Formats: sequence, C-alpha cells, structure tokens
Amino acid sequence: MTLLTIDGLGKSYGHTTALDDVSLRVEAGRRTAVVGPSGSGKTTLLRLVAGFEAPDAGRIELDGTIMADGPAHVPAHRRGIGIVAQDGALFPHLSVAENIGFGIPRGTPDRETQIAGLIDMVELDRAMLERRPHQLSGGQQQRVALARALGRKPRLILLDEPFSALDTGLRENMRKAVARVLQAAGITAILVTHDQTEALSFADQVAVLRGGRLVQTGAPRTLYLQPRDRETALFLGDAVLLPAHARDGHADCALGAVPIRAERQGRVEIMLRPEQIRIVPADEDGTGRVVDIEFGGAVCTVTVALEGTSLPPVAIRTSSLAPPALGDRVRLDIDGAAHVLDADGADRPPAP
Amino acid sequence: MSVHRLAGLAAFALLLGLSAPAAAQTGGASEGIVVYNAQHESLGREWTDAFTKATGIPVTMRQGGDMQLANQLIAEGAASPADVFLTENSPAMTLADSAGLFAPVDKATLDQVPAAFRPSDGRWIGIAARATVFAYDKTKLSEDKLPKSIMDLADPAWKGRWGAAPAGADFQAIVSAMLDMKGEEATLAWLKALKANALPYKGNSIAMKAVNVGEIEGAIIYHYYWFGDQAKTGENSNNVALHYFRHQDPGAFVSLSGGGVLKSSQHPKEAQALLAFITGKAGQDILKNGTSYEYAVGKDAASNPKLVPLSDLQAPTIDPSRLNSRKVTEMMTAAGLI
Amino acid sequence: MRHDDGSFASLPPVDGLAATGAMLRAPRLPALLARHPLVHLAAALVALASLVPLGFVVATTWEVGWDTVRELVFRPRVGELLVNTALLEATSVPISIVVAVALAWLIERTDLPFARLWSWLAVAPLAVPAFVHSYAWISLAPGMHGLWSATFVSVIAYFPFLYLPVAATLRRLDPAIEDAAASLGLGPWRVFFRAILPQLRIAICGGSLLIGLHLLSEYGLYVMIRFDTFATAIVDQFQSAYNSPAANMLGGVLIVCCLLLIALEALLRGGERYARVGAGAARPATRRALGRWRLPALILPAALALLTLGVPLWTLARWIVLGGIAIWPAEVLVTFAQTMALALAGGALATLAAAPMAWLSVRAPGRVQRVLEACHYYVGSLPGVVVALALVSLTVRYFLPLYQTYATLLAAYVLLFLPRAMVGLHASIAQAPVELERAAQALGRTPAQAVRQVTLRLAAPGVAASLALVALGITNELTATLMLAPNGVETLSTRFWSLTSEIDYVAAAPYAVMMVALSLPLTLLLHAQSTRVAGQ
Repeated sequence: MTLLTIDGLGKSYGHTTALDDVSLRVEAGRRTAVVGPSGSGKTTLLRLVAGFEAPDAGRIELDGTIMADGPAHVPAHRRGIGIVAQDGALFPHLSVAENIGFGIPRGTPDRETQIAGLIDMVELDRAMLERRPHQLSGGQQQRVALARALGRKPRLILLDEPFSALDTGLRENMRKAVARVLQAAGITAILVTHDQTEALSFADQVAVLRGGRLVQTGAPRTLYLQPRDRETALFLGDAVLLPAHARDGHADCALGAVPIRAERQGRVEIMLRPEQIRIVPADEDGTGRVVDIEFGGAVCTVTVALEGTSLPPVAIRTSSLAPPALGDRVRLDIDGAAHVLDADGADRPPAP
Repeated sequence: MSVHRLAGLAAFALLLGLSAPAAAQTGGASEGIVVYNAQHESLGREWTDAFTKATGIPVTMRQGGDMQLANQLIAEGAASPADVFLTENSPAMTLADSAGLFAPVDKATLDQVPAAFRPSDGRWIGIAARATVFAYDKTKLSEDKLPKSIMDLADPAWKGRWGAAPAGADFQAIVSAMLDMKGEEATLAWLKALKANALPYKGNSIAMKAVNVGEIEGAIIYHYYWFGDQAKTGENSNNVALHYFRHQDPGAFVSLSGGGVLKSSQHPKEAQALLAFITGKAGQDILKNGTSYEYAVGKDAASNPKLVPLSDLQAPTIDPSRLNSRKVTEMMTAAGLI
Repeated sequence: MRHDDGSFASLPPVDGLAATGAMLRAPRLPALLARHPLVHLAAALVALASLVPLGFVVATTWEVGWDTVRELVFRPRVGELLVNTALLEATSVPISIVVAVALAWLIERTDLPFARLWSWLAVAPLAVPAFVHSYAWISLAPGMHGLWSATFVSVIAYFPFLYLPVAATLRRLDPAIEDAAASLGLGPWRVFFRAILPQLRIAICGGSLLIGLHLLSEYGLYVMIRFDTFATAIVDQFQSAYNSPAANMLGGVLIVCCLLLIALEALLRGGERYARVGAGAARPATRRALGRWRLPALILPAALALLTLGVPLWTLARWIVLGGIAIWPAEVLVTFAQTMALALAGGALATLAAAPMAWLSVRAPGRVQRVLEACHYYVGSLPGVVVALALVSLTVRYFLPLYQTYATLLAAYVLLFLPRAMVGLHASIAQAPVELERAAQALGRTPAQAVRQVTLRLAAPGVAASLALVALGITNELTATLMLAPNGVETLSTRFWSLTSEIDYVAAAPYAVMMVALSLPLTLLLHAQSTRVAGQ
C-alpha cells in the first residue's frame, strides 16, 4: 500500500529552483532514504512533506488525504508527521520526560506509562527521564527526539540527517537502533542524508536527488550496482569508469573483455565497483603496473596504471595480507558483470 | 582608538575641565567667596555677577533648597566652605542662626534695611520679599467665588480643586506664619484638610502651570512666579490671575528672604561686602529691573512698578525670627504630607 | 541610563579559561590566593569599597536605635511609597515584557518589512535619558501625572533593555525546535507559548531585573511626571533636612527593595542553562510569513518609534527652534567640557578599579573570587541617591577633607558604574587567553613584556568600551551629581535639571540635545555589539 505520494513537486526561492518536478512513492511500513549532496534540495523536500513550507507546484498525498496541492497546504501541526532533526531539537527548558510527553495531550489517562514505554522503546534508561537535554550525550538526545516523535504515533516519520552530528562508531549504532525501533513500531520513515553509506544501509528504497531533481529511485543494491549515470555512480561509492566497445554481451576495454548485461552495441561507458576487481600477479599477460601502495590496516589501496592507455590509474582496495609489490605487473580480473551507464555517460569521447 | 590615545585624551580633558572650577576655588582662597544659594539660581547669578563686576571678587555658588543648605551648614559646622548663605525664606535663616553659625552683619549694612525686614539680633538681614497669593484659573473662578481667607481652603467644598507645593520651603514658611498666628491646633487641622483636599505639586511653578492648563482651579504660591512667566512668554500663566488675601490674613503673609555671613568664613570682609552690595542700591535695583520680580526691601528702594506695592498688601506683622521651621516639619510629617 | 550592561553582567565567568589553575593538581584556595596576592588585594579593596553604602545604612540603623527606625520606617508615608513602587513595578515591567517580546518577535522572526531599520529604532530610545523622555512628554501633555503616566513613560524609556536580550535570544534560537513543536501537533500560537517563550525566560528575567532596578533608582522622570517613589522621597527629605535619619531610613528600605528584586530574579531564572543542545550548525531561521498581517503588523514598530523617538525629537526640535540662538550661551560649552572631563575621568577610574576583578574572574576563577565579583556587581544596582547619601554623610562626618571634592564625586561614579566597566573588561580579557602570553614568553619576552605586548593589546577594545560605557552613564547621571558635586561644578544633566525645575524648558533644550548626541553613538555601538554576540 502506498502511504505517501509525491507528484510533480516544485519549489523555488526567488530565482533559485530548489525542487523541480519531483515524484516519489513511499510504501507503508518501509524506509526510504533521500540522498544527495548538499544543496540538492533534500531538506526542502523534507520541509515540504513535513508541512513547514508550501510547494509552488505539485501534490503531496498522505494516506489518501491531500496534504498539499500547489500553494494550498495543510499546516505541519495538523499532518501527524513526526520529525527528528539533525541535533534532536530537544526543548532545552524541559526535562527528558517532558520532552517525550510534549506531543501527548495532558490528561491522557496513561500518559506516564506511555512516556516510560517510549523511553524503553528507544533503549534508554528510565532514570534519564528527570534529566535535562544538556545532560545527555548526542546519541541519547537523538533517542529522546525519536521517542518524542513516536509519542504521537505518527503515520510517517521524517529523519533529517539525525546521525550526522554523531561520532562514527556511535553513528552506526544509532542507525541500527533507529531502524530496529521503526521496524518494531511498523512506522514508515523517510531519512534525508548526504551520506550514501547511511542511505544504502538504512533504507529499503533510496532516492537520489541532485540539483533539485530526482535522478533515480530504487532498492539500495540496484542503485549501487546499476546507477543511471556516472554522477550517481560516483556519489554512491567508489567506481572505476572505463570507455569500452560493446558487442554481444561483452565490452572491450583497457581491462580486456568484460561481461555486460545490457543489450548494447558500440561505444559505451562501463562502471565497475572496485570490489569487483581482483589483482592477479601476471608478469606475462599483465594489463597494468602497480604504481602506489597505501597500507591501511585491514585493507590496502593498490593503484594500478593501465598499460597502453592514457586513462588515469585505477585505485583498488584489496586485502592487506598479500599485496603486490610496487612495480609489479598485474592483471585485473573481474567478478560478475560490468554495468553499462546510460547514453549520456557513453557520449564522452572514448580513449584513443 | 588605542589605549594610549584614550588615556591621553582623558588626561587632557581632566586638566582642562577640572582645573577651571578648581582654579575658581583655590584662587578663591585669597579673595573669592563661596555662596550657598537657596534663592532662585537666576536671581543669585544676577546678584553675584554684578557683585563680581563691581568689586572684582569672584563668587562660587552652590545651589540648593532652603532647608537642605541650612541643614548642610549645620552638618558641616566650622569646616564649612561657605562664606555667605542666601535663602528664599526666613525659617532657614532662623535655623542656621539658632545653631550659632552666623557672624553679626555689619552695622552699616543693617542700616540699609528697615528694622521690620531683619531680626532683632542682627545676625542676618532681609534681602528681598515675596507675597503669598492664590493663583487661580480666571476662566473658572470669578472674584466672588474666591476664598476670603487661606483658612477657607480647608473647607470640603474645595476638595480636589486646589494645589500647593507642600514639600517646598516656600510653602513651609507660609505654614510657619499660620502657626504663629493661629496656633498649633488650628494649623494642624488645616494641614490635615490640605492633605485631604489639595493636590501636591513638586514646585510653585509647576503648581501654577497646573492651574493654567485647568487641572486645578487655584494654587497657593508666591506672586513672582506669575510675573516672571508673564514677562517671558506667558505660556504657563495666561489663564491665571492672582488673588491677594490682604486683611492681615495668614494667607497675606509676606515672606522675607535672608542673607547671612558664616562665622566660620575665611573671608569675612568679602562676605560682608556681598551682603552690603545686595542690600544696597545696586543690589536692590536688580530686584526692580531684573527678571526676579521679588520685592525690594532696602530703605528707599523701589520694587518693580508692575507689582502691587508692598504697602498695599495688608500683610500680618510677624517677627521673622519667631518662625519655627522644625515644628512645621514635624506637623507636616504628622499630617502625612512629607 | 545605568544598568544597560546588566544583561551581560549575569554572564557566568568563563570557566574554560582557568588556565593558570590547569597545573598538576587542583590548587587549594590559599594557593590560588597566593599566586596573585597584589591583584587579589586590589580586587578586595574595591569590593570592600563597594560595600560602603550598604554598611553605612546598616550602621546608621544600628546607631539611631530601633525606636527611631520604627518611627521612621513604619509610617503611612513609607507605606504609600511602597505601594507606589510596587504598582509601578507591577505595571511597567509586564507591559515592557509584552511590548519587547512582541516587537522582537516581529523584527527577528517574521517577514516584517524594513526589519533592520526597526531593529535600530527599537534600541535608539536608550540614547534619550529617562528624564528627557518625561520632559518631552510633559511639554506635549502638561497634565500628565500619576501612576499610569509614570508607567507609560517608564515603558517608553526602558523597554529597549528588554528588547536587546530578547531579540538576541530569538535570533540565535534554533528554528528546528519550532519545527519539532509544530510536528508534534502545536499550532503557531501554541508553538510560541510552549516552545519559544519558555526559552526567552533568561533574557526576560535579566531584562526585567534591569528595568526593575531602573524604576527604583530613577528620580528625574518621576519628579516631572509627579509620581512619588523612594528616590523622589529621599531627595525631598534631603532637600528639607539634608542627611537626616529619615532620608537614611528611606535609603535603607530602597536598598532592601533592590536586593529583593535581585533575589526574585534569581529565583525566577532558576539555575538552568538553556544552551543549545547538540553540535550541528543551526540553520538560519526561516521567517514566518505574516501574510495579510504584514502591513498591519507595521503599526507596532511604527507607533513605538513615534512614541519613543518621534516625541522627544519633535519636542526638542520645537524648543530649539523657539529658543533660537539665545539659548546657546558660552556656558553651554563650558558645561559640556566639564561634563566630558568628569565622564572621561570617571570612566578611566572605574575601568582601572574594575581591572583587577575582571582579570581574576577570567584567569583565576573560584569561590572567593565569585564573592568578590558579586560585590562589584551588586553596588551597580544601587540607586545613585543611596550611594550619594552614604558618601555625603560619611565625608561630612568623618572625612571632611574629602567632603565636596572631585574625589568623592568620582568615587560615587566608580561605585555606580563598576558593573559597566567589568563587562567590557571581562569580555576582552577573555579574548586574550593565558596561552598567548605563554607563547610570547616562549618567544623570549619577559612576563611584563608579554602582558604589555599581547594581553593589553588584545584587551584594548574592551578597555575603550568600558570607558565609553561608564562615561555615558556619568553624562546622564543626575542624583549623585546633584548631591555630591563640588561647589560650582555642573554637568549637562544637572544644568538641564535646574532649568526644567524652573520650567524654563526652552533654555533646557540645548543640554538635552547634547546629552542625546553624546549617547547616540554608544547606543548604536551597544546594538551592533548585541547583534555580533548573536553571531550575525
């Protein structure tokens, strides 16, 4: 069942177009991540969905009810959409319990129980209920903010870069915890982030936003392995982009003949994720030479200059157990198929 | 701006600004005198400026109220920097005199003023006089509706219709005259009625202004506020006329402004010279021709021709040294006025 | 025009800069004291001096005995004054809060047209001394008097003290909090009352205290508007009987009122910080669209500007034009020079006196230092009339050589404006952390050179600001100057005062104009500073 339908949404600030004809469907109970570089319009999209601003054009429909149709819109406080902001936005003048209970009307019979249940749900100690926001760590503040949003039993919860202010280790932890809580409560969520790892690991559906337009939407794995264009490919992770000549399920490129799935012929641009590439020592039939090795603990990054081409060297992460030596000739083997990028990528001048 | 430049500027300004009056003071150690002036500042300046011009003796003035300066002189005692004390009303003079602060006034100076305008002990001298009036709104009160006596204002019929400046020395002098004429009981009753009936103002000019704008119908003040304002723009008095009670009524009281030389003065000669100047022809002519509109008190001295002559006021005869300011303050405190 | 610094005065000492204490172990108290004995001695002496007015009132009370105290304090007149004071506080402060919060919200958080202009105009009334405000109003409406007139002029003269901190807080308030409240189901009004207003509490408490203390100490405003307060009654007593026990007892009651206000504020403020939680950079606030209220909303700032600036300027202009060239005698310039000299001397002295404490509270904060600092701040909350009365009585009775001298007058200024001097110094010494001094020493400077070449350089703007703030206060000070000035010394404000007392409003106008002209640049500086503090 579709909970949220966004259709042809547009918004400009003066001469700057923040969103342009954005359409997106969010299924009930699922987690969607909207990912894009800063300035891509993702915060605007979130603010329009939340109801803090009205769109210039397009419709937002929540659970069959129209929330916005062009400039006419239902204000935020009547939408029943929860929001967790970047740094929690806890009310500094209220205790944790008061913060969590803020959206629950006073006089609700089991209000105290609900608050206690909510703090349990976000896996915080009940002793924290009496504390003030500034006495909590960043992660704890985020959990309180989540509990506060959940208190209203929203149909949809919006997460506005909620993990970006946290330390790396804590960030992963929180991401998992939040996903777990949302899953348990069966609440639909939209995460807005500029961190592609976060988006890919958190969501069932990822939407890539760039320059105010939605470039591609789909399952995380699909987007990662089959991005539409090179910007998306590079945005979602490291990528090796090579000009190639496609013919009958193969592409001839600097690495030799690489299998492709697309039914394409002629000049194309193919993308490989570095983890698809294995470095094999090959004095005889090597296609490149190791020009740099950077030791990085568990993995090391080996940079290989491809022979017979003016393409930039390719950086490949590999196990640091038995790396090749500097100057070794190597062959690059491919696991699986290469992805052929859409035409706009292939139009670039091929290597000589 | 750097600290150095600021500090330099401050030091410079300090030298410039602070040295000017300081010079007047220390320079005064040889010939200048310090006057504690409770008279109107403008009149005080007219007198002292003319005095300095005539004699070359510089004068430094400290401005204050009658009672403030009298009490200040008492607190300062023998260490007071003051050489001369000038007041608006006589009770402050009596107070300072009873504390033994005054040196006798030169005989020649005393002779410039009739005996009625100085105390019998000759330790201070009258320098000017002012008449009590009922300043009224001529658009609201006709002559037949005016009070016959100041005592009539205690009548509840006058509730909320008149005002005065009870915290001022001027009014307290009028009350001391009433105390002398009518006794303690009647005066206290009148003061209590005043508390109930009258609107208190901070000064005579402000009370007159209130009459002028129609806030109240009349006010007990001295005559010269009206003449002074008329001489300027009349902005605060054009709707106001003066009613003189006459008939030796306490409200016809003529208050005596006094001057005295401090016993502790380091410059008694110059101080006596100032009193002689003020009570002499030049000083009294300033009352006639200047902007003060107070009555002249010198023998043969004429007051401003615009004023109702002093002799026509039918004022009660009261020995100025009998006016008891402490008692008045006590009674006014008891009536809740101050 | 004092206390406009108190909003900063309540800033806690900068704990993070306890650099000298960051040795191997937490130093014990005596050790800390021993480290800077001379600085501590100097700060302690200033703190002791700041206790003089309070000590004097206590001693007088003791001396006259209980019977006299009862007679002078428990009488109907004091009751009247208490009622007047309470009513004045109870009307002026809440109205100021409503006006200041509404105005600040419109200017800072909505799409009100010309918001920047209004924000300057909202602060500008501070450049007009309170008694000039009342002078302007009674010139316009001579019948104005009593409680409501007093309240009206008080609000007009003092609401910027609330506007400044409230606007600054609103400006840096995290907009995400409002969004969060809206997403939790609150409509715009409830968002304002439940999420925004509570966060303004500290700003409102601080500003209200400032206004409350001003209402207690202001004299000229209420004399003109004919409303009796303790300050006017004390001066009345002073004028009838000089330093009488009655005046001193009224002074005692007034001090108690001040301390009560301070305690009340501390109680209401509570011990909380409303610091922004979280580390991310705040999104600049989106301004709320006023929609069809956009033009009607202009009425508030426009009406306020008219009342607070239009009326004084129009009145002054009218008197100046009426008076023509005749009201500008040479005396005006002499008074101006004298005022500037006093103001700069007082500013320099107050800054000097505040320096040891300001330095200690940044470099060696601790419990003892906190107490000393509190002394420095409390004395600034006392009305000028109380401090002056104490100094008059003490000098005339015990230190006659100091009586009626510049020394005593300047001492009163130092005491009254000590907090102002502290504010600028404190901030600028914090700008010069001890690490920089050490770095200079590591680069071969002696400790003295390091202080001179690094710390003093960095603190210079703060020194200038302190000096200027104190100088402005002295320019507009009335009661202490009236009571303490040496013979023949007059300032712009006392000259203005004696002329208006004889209702010579025309001749008084040049002095008012000069006071406004002197105050204006500093007021604008204050505004600029408050916006910079807020990071904009």
